[in-house]
Amino acid sequence: MFFLSLIEHTLRLPPHLLNLPLDQAIKGELETLFWDKVIANLGLCVSIYDIRNIDGGFIFPGDGASTFTVNFRWIMFRPFVGEVLSGEVEESDAKGLRLSLGFFKEITLPAHLLPNPSKFGEDGKWTWDFNGTELPIEKEDEIHFKVHSIRYPPIPVEQEKDVKPFAPMVITASIDFDGLGPISWWV
Amino acid sequence: MILRLQTNAGTLTNFEVLDFLRSRGASTDSTRVIANVAPSEFQVYDYLVQSAARNQTRESIDEFLTSWVKFDPAKAEKLNLINIKPSPAIEIDSIVENCEQRMGNEDEALVKMIIEMLPAPGKPEGTNEDPTEVVADQEAMEAVLPPSTKPRGTNEEETVETVGDQDSVQTLSFSTVTIYLYVV
Repeated sequence: MFFLSLIEHTLRLPPHLLNLPLDQAIKGELETLFWDKVIANLGLCVSIYDIRNIDGGFIFPGDGASTFTVNFRWIMFRPFVGEVLSGEVEESDAKGLRLSLGFFKEITLPAHLLPNPSKFGEDGKWTWDFNGTELPIEKEDEIHFKVHSIRYPPIPVEQEKDVKPFAPMVITASIDFDGLGPISWWV
Repeated sequence: MILRLQTNAGTLTNFEVLDFLRSRGASTDSTRVIANVAPSEFQVYDYLVQSAARNQTRESIDEFLTSWVKFDPAKAEKLNLINIKPSPAIEIDSIVENCEQRMGNEDEALVKMIIEMLPAPGKPEGTNEDPTEVVADQEAMEAVLPPSTKPRGTNEEETVETVGDQDSVQTLSFSTVTIYLYVV
């Protein structure tokens, strides 16, 4: 689920941070820049792991701030395809379910990746019809799901007013395997 | 300008991330407002605390891995098993490919071994806490990080990670609003 990614970045350190030790100042700047942001194909930045290398410290003409080239590693949240994760149901509608991991809520479970045959009841819950036994997916269930694919949609240039906020990283999940789905189904 | 030097400089199990956040000062009690951990990191911490990683220790993970060596699991499978402790035998099926071929009738023994070595998650309120405990080490085990894992199908380099000590640093800013930024 979590990977380390080694990134190099040219960082401009504002002059008001000059009273701090260098590594603290750089760490603070990097955190402001990357915390909770999504980088394409790298995933969601969780936490800075370490700083490998700090180079530079040049001051460009006309600028009061110094510029450093920093090599550092961030803990990234990036599940791989086929990974089994455990999350909760956030909402469920006719097209499928939306799951959440607490810190990451853009996990869609489309209807065709639910075990066959499933149906959507009027109370808003999906139910799996397993050889005659009805197994519903409740809202508080902890669900084990397998990652089907991860998409990083490009940033839209324009958006209409009432559309959902743009999600830069979307995971598609599937529970169409033995052992997946709410834990209560298999106990 | 951001340059990605290594997209995958190492894989971390949930336990390692939890350990790392704990060493930075994250916790579930009221001292969390003082710790220099961002709210977004706290969300990750909260998720990990109520997941299967809560009761793990390095030693228990090492034991678990050595006992699984004879089945030659792929690295992705090891990672999945450590992160999600499957309790019924059928859940192992979704994690380990060709389960029947490789393990045959040893499923039951395996499940018991998993339950013993990796304490079950249980709910954090403590009402249904699973009483199984970690089996004590018989040989002295070095507290080494589990081998770094790599998902199948990717050809990226892997390195064995050692956790560096983080200095406690005063951060300058708290990001309370999550903003999504696409950085190329």
